[in-house]
Amino acid sequence: MKTSVVGSRVTREDAWGKVFGQTKFPADVNLPGQLYAVVIRSPHPHAKVLSINCDYALEMAGVVAVLSAKDVPHNAHGVLFRDQPVLAEYVRMVGDPVAVVGAETEEIAREAAKRVQVEYQVLPTVFDPEEAMKPDVLPLHPSLRPTNVLYHMPIRRGSMEEGWAKADVVIEKEYNTQHVDHAFLQPEAVLAHLDERGHLVVQTATQYAHYDRGEIAHALGLRFSQVQVKTLAVGGAFGGREDISLQVIAALMAWKTLRPVKMENTREESFYSHSKRHPMRMQYKTGATKDGKLVAMEAKIVGDSGAYASWSINVLRKAAVHATGPYVIPNVSIDSYAVFTNNPFTGAMRGFGAAQTVLAYESQMDLLAKEIGISPLEIRLRNIFKVGSTTATGQVLTSSVPLDQCLAKITPYLQRGGESE
Amino acid sequence: MKKRGIGLGCSWYGTGYGNGFPDVSSAFVEIHDDGSATVLTGAVDVGQGSNSIFAQIVAEELGLEAQDICVYSGDTDATPDSGTTAATRQTYNTGNAVLKAVRQAKSSLLVYAAREFSCPTSEGIELKEGYIGVKGDPSRRVPLADLVFQARLRGERFISAESSTARSTPVDPETGQGAPYWPYSFGCQSAEVEVDTETGVVQVLKVVAVHDVGKALNPTQVEGQIAGGVTQGIGYALLEELELNEGKIKNPAFSSYLIPTALDVPNIEAFFVEDAESTGPFGAKGLGEPAMLPTVAAIINAIDDAVGVRITSIPATPEKILKALAEKNGEVKKH
Amino acid sequence: MIEIKLVVNEKPYNLNVEPSERLIDALRNRLGLLGTKEGCGEGECGACTIIMDGKTVNSCLVLAAQANGSVLTTIEGVGNRRSPHPVQKAFVEVGAVQCGFCTPGMVLSAKNLLDKNSHPSESEIGVAMSGNLCRCTGYDKILRAVKIAAEEGKQ
Repeated sequence: MKTSVVGSRVTREDAWGKVFGQTKFPADVNLPGQLYAVVIRSPHPHAKVLSINCDYALEMAGVVAVLSAKDVPHNAHGVLFRDQPVLAEYVRMVGDPVAVVGAETEEIAREAAKRVQVEYQVLPTVFDPEEAMKPDVLPLHPSLRPTNVLYHMPIRRGSMEEGWAKADVVIEKEYNTQHVDHAFLQPEAVLAHLDERGHLVVQTATQYAHYDRGEIAHALGLRFSQVQVKTLAVGGAFGGREDISLQVIAALMAWKTLRPVKMENTREESFYSHSKRHPMRMQYKTGATKDGKLVAMEAKIVGDSGAYASWSINVLRKAAVHATGPYVIPNVSIDSYAVFTNNPFTGAMRGFGAAQTVLAYESQMDLLAKEIGISPLEIRLRNIFKVGSTTATGQVLTSSVPLDQCLAKITPYLQRGGESE
Repeated sequence: MKKRGIGLGCSWYGTGYGNGFPDVSSAFVEIHDDGSATVLTGAVDVGQGSNSIFAQIVAEELGLEAQDICVYSGDTDATPDSGTTAATRQTYNTGNAVLKAVRQAKSSLLVYAAREFSCPTSEGIELKEGYIGVKGDPSRRVPLADLVFQARLRGERFISAESSTARSTPVDPETGQGAPYWPYSFGCQSAEVEVDTETGVVQVLKVVAVHDVGKALNPTQVEGQIAGGVTQGIGYALLEELELNEGKIKNPAFSSYLIPTALDVPNIEAFFVEDAESTGPFGAKGLGEPAMLPTVAAIINAIDDAVGVRITSIPATPEKILKALAEKNGEVKKH
Repeated sequence: MIEIKLVVNEKPYNLNVEPSERLIDALRNRLGLLGTKEGCGEGECGACTIIMDGKTVNSCLVLAAQANGSVLTTIEGVGNRRSPHPVQKAFVEVGAVQCGFCTPGMVLSAKNLLDKNSHPSESEIGVAMSGNLCRCTGYDKILRAVKIAAEEGKQ
């Protein structure tokens, strides 16, 4: 199809405002009479909140309110399950919010936050997912799952027995990936106020304004029609602004005090208030014929979901579906698990489970090629998906599978370099 | 000694929510009396540039320029729900919704124009360069603004609301069989690295990235996504790690959690392959996430090519490289 | 409170500031110059970059009182829609802007480099921009934009 505007290098309209510093991110908006709110976060990875003493904080001039779990009408939010408290009575990770202080200035709010005394009953912890999977370990979400195994996805295709029988070369290895932060440049910030209509207006940076609206309305017991979420400029996201962070807390403070409420995370607070990329342990066994044709693959993938479910089910599903790489393998057995621990919760991040498995399946390809004595390019060319190929989930790829074209374009760049001092 | 190596990584990525979850985007379009237009969608532009893409789609359909289109997004009081800006879904999903919406508004405009030009079917009408008129007869056309304004006087308006839903099905919970995503995006990257065998430091010298985009709706933005993805991939492969102690983050700061700087980034050559996806807007597929996927593999494979060690745990820090080199040398001595 | 005198974007100001007040807060809260962004608060990300007496500084690491008597340029003092600075024009045209949070700091670092050195080499550009973090663009187009702006300046 011949197009003129589509396909052209149109410059972005928003770029001008950004180069002049005019673009408003949520930290850049204010309202007269606004309060500043600061969250008190748990220092413990697993604990019950026994009591919260706000007296010393409320004594300070300029402190307007201290809110905790008892002040939240419906104290839960979450993308898949509402398993995350707005303000926690039961803490499952370091950094869980337990209370929020509203004050006339940010300085007062930060000082008052230090004076809120929270008494915790510390509970047993588990940080290693494979340990957490054991049936006798205390489950972190007993109302959701009887054990800490949040999700198991099996993929079964073909016959493993036949597959291994055909394999001339087998490579078996374990791969591990780490917790990663989105590190978007703009820390979370929000301005919430009750407008002249009596509607709660929340200005923030989010990936999904309509989701935020739903969670705010749910937590406060309002109708969607009474809550407006307006997205200002978003300073990077990469998945880290999918789960709601400060938005519900600021909305709650504005609703309770009838004052505009501003919240801004420091970088340290930002690290504690959004999800992380799942670390995964991936045990791989891949077999090929001496001609370099893949014939069998087995994988066990364990992902650390941390303290809450967030998108873990979808992430570990995506890891499983993509675990073969873009290659035809007739005999496949994959088991992918998402497991609760007391680590920071993990969720969406660019690549979403498919970013981890690349390390494993592409390392296996190079190791197989070496063993067989063909080039890394050659082993890929012999196995890549094409139109009509069937994936490990049995899906037939019906159109637009141009990996062969991609490889053709990159081939001239695969010359090995020399040594230098 | 500094040794160089080259590595290759391939990847694939199923875009959209997947697994049968309703993946719906919506858009409203209004064509104004002066021949410009506004599109409203819930799709938040998080910096990747979706608003520009929607402007281009509407402009293309109406024979206008992108600057003739106002895109307003991400305000729940004014815009319809278009799903989350994630899963590499906005160009494809909301792009499709915007395309359906503008085509719907355009179809009533074409019917109206066909009557005005005494053309028995709207098939004979075209929108081009800000004009609307009879296909193949450049003498019979009027500025789009004139026609839309005249239509208003007769009580006709060209507005629309449309939704688009991506296709996917849930997989079988026992066997994992099913068609969980559509479409899939493919790509490959090569990395050339230099490994310092004394310090264990890996420097990425060059990355070549080739990605399948269906159709590049805006090549500048495609290149921007690729360079950004490659750089996050370099951070993932070599630098970034949240250090935890009993669940507490030991490095919650940019002084201790290191992300790539301008000096960590190599020469990046970005290419794209256009093999139209029939279900995408103008054949387009998403690129946001796929752009970062192959980088880690290309780098880890390049390290092996350079110094003959296989790093299986990322990030590939100097400590891990030195340890692997020491183990390798130990093995060599044993034999 | 301490009384300080500043020239910001060619306008003189007399301000009363707290002894512990950071320059970024004085600029944002007292002068309403919100183009200066805070990304980390520890001088690592460069989003709060401004030009102070001809040098780029992280305004989150400078006390307002330390800036007494200084001449400052913030993003609001560089270019406008009618006459953008060559760096701003190049950033927009090349596609060096994505989320835009790092952009004001990037523009100021680039401007200050070109003010000092109208013919920077690629490595000089890299070093000059290395104090400004960006998570979206991979720096590729940012570095290209600075190069193009430098070439434009030569003509």
